[in-house]
Amino acid sequence: MLVVVFVLVFGGVLAMVASDQQQVLESTERLQQQTVPEIIRFQRLARNMEQLRQEGERLFAVATPEARQQAIFVVTLVASHPSIVEYPQSAALAREAELFLVDVNRQANENPASLKNHYSDWNNLSSRLSLQVDDVSIQGINLTTADLASVAHSMKTARLKLIGAAMLLAAFLLLLGYLLRQYLIRPLQRIDRQLTGLSVDRPAPEFPATPVAEIFSIEQASKRLHASLLENERSRLELENLAHFDGLTGLVNRRYFMERAETELLRAHRYDRPVAVGMADLDFFKRINDTYGHAAGDLVLKTFAQLLKDSVRQTDLVCRYGGEEFAFVFPESTVDEALVLAERFRQRFAEREIFLPDGHRVHVTISIGLADASRLPLEKALSCADQALYQAKHEGRNRVIVAAEQRLPLPV
Amino acid sequence: MRSCLILFGLLTALTGVVHGGELQVALGVQEMKIPPSSREAGKGVPRSAGLAGFNEALAREICRRISARCVMLNSTFGEILPGVEGGRFDLGFGNFLRTPEREKRVAFSDAIWHSSSRLLATPQAAARMASQASGEVSLDSLQGVRIAVVDGTQQHAYLRSIASERRLTVIPLLTMAEALLALKEDKADLALLLTLATYAMISREPPGRFEFVGPPVADRGLGGTVHIAVPKQKEDILSQVNQAIRALRADGSYQRIARQFFPFSMD
Repeated sequence: MLVVVFVLVFGGVLAMVASDQQQVLESTERLQQQTVPEIIRFQRLARNMEQLRQEGERLFAVATPEARQQAIFVVTLVASHPSIVEYPQSAALAREAELFLVDVNRQANENPASLKNHYSDWNNLSSRLSLQVDDVSIQGINLTTADLASVAHSMKTARLKLIGAAMLLAAFLLLLGYLLRQYLIRPLQRIDRQLTGLSVDRPAPEFPATPVAEIFSIEQASKRLHASLLENERSRLELENLAHFDGLTGLVNRRYFMERAETELLRAHRYDRPVAVGMADLDFFKRINDTYGHAAGDLVLKTFAQLLKDSVRQTDLVCRYGGEEFAFVFPESTVDEALVLAERFRQRFAEREIFLPDGHRVHVTISIGLADASRLPLEKALSCADQALYQAKHEGRNRVIVAAEQRLPLPV
Repeated sequence: MRSCLILFGLLTALTGVVHGGELQVALGVQEMKIPPSSREAGKGVPRSAGLAGFNEALAREICRRISARCVMLNSTFGEILPGVEGGRFDLGFGNFLRTPEREKRVAFSDAIWHSSSRLLATPQAAARMASQASGEVSLDSLQGVRIAVVDGTQQHAYLRSIASERRLTVIPLLTMAEALLALKEDKADLALLLTLATYAMISREPPGRFEFVGPPVADRGLGGTVHIAVPKQKEDILSQVNQAIRALRADGSYQRIARQFFPFSMD
């Protein structure tokens, strides 16, 4: 809307300037077509009057009748020039001078001595002619000055108006620039700053109210971008979760466990610390599933997992290794300390009464095999623990067995 | 480069080469040419003096400026305008005053000088008329006289228009020389002629042979700017002639030519 106002005002100013220019053009045109010819006419008149006067002087100055005749001819012809004839004042004076001089000449032809008698009268005429020449010149000059002054004036006015228009234009441009900065540049800079710092860690971008619809829509878009970033982050965490954890029990899954267990063992081996691993297996789990259904089996697993999580220490790793198999790593623990832990857990789980969904109550036991992993690689240690587990199953279940020490040649 | 050449060619074409290259220029004569056989020894027809001389010199200079070869043809005044109208002449130097009637027939160049008209008479005739008239004898007060005039001029046209109411006898003659002769032979009381044209003719006469009667007249179509007549359809000639006249005035050539013939400025 402001642009429309600006265009209108500027258009108006432009029209005004154009009309001024037109006036200036007309003035100079008039100067050329009228004033200059007028000045030439005045100049011509003055020149001819002066020549008339001079030829009159010559009439008195020359000695021979022929020369006088020549002078009279010039007098006659100059006095007949249209520039004199058309100008009433000079026409009268020229006629008077001509008649006087013709008469003097005629008398002089009869009697040359009479010439000097007329000279004083001629002087009179001569000075009147001079005065008129001056008057005419002055008139011409005044005309020039007046017309030139009016042209100069109109040009000055036009220039002032042009300067005014230029200033108006400058003011409008400044205003436009300010508005542009305020409503376009600054919001864009704000948006840029917010977009640069866009991250899941920071809150959603906030913008002050703006009347410009386009800026507003970009701000909304950046807000949506932030929301989708958050959404993506959530999905990523979820996927990570899914990648690392077992859905049912909430324990880490096997793959993730193996990574972390590897790290733990490496550290223990490096700093020569004791570390133990274990394998556990639910006893008669298939029977639970067949008898009470898979839902019951799941409940048992979940109960077991929760109990496990509550029982192990913070630094211990525990995972769901298979369907009803679980694996452990006990960092900073000798196998005897791990045995104490495992034994405690076995007892607790055996005493635990599990209420199934259909109302039945069951007791489930576990068998656990432990192995010293202080000097073994992970696979080997787990294999030992697995063997111990097998032994526990074989000896009657619901017990903890520690694998016999296997001495390995120390790596060279 | 080529565009430069084309531009150059166009400019030269514009600035003055006349198509055809030859112009027929009519110069008005004040008297018929005396046949060589009857010419007195030492005395020829002074064609190169006075207004006729000025017109010829001006014509030559203009032709030089527009790069045309000019053929000078002498004609009586009455022949020139019809000749230009018909296209027989390209330029007509007949001391033409510009009138609306004439403008219908031919085109006129820019002004070349200013003229007025005046009555001429012998001193005897002038004295006779002065004694008869109550006031000054002038064009406004003429009654019942015989006036000689050159056929086809503005003076002729004006006198024709007032002849009946003033009881004037208008005597049209072919040239100014004949008009002067008529005055000498008392076949006419007065002659109404272009003041300047009369100058050269009178200056050859003994002083006091003729005198001007009454004030000069520049209105009623009897005075004003004098132009060269150009055929209406030949617009390129007209524009070139005007350009030449402007150039002549601007560099002082016109003034120099005028001074050759007159001791004052007729412009």
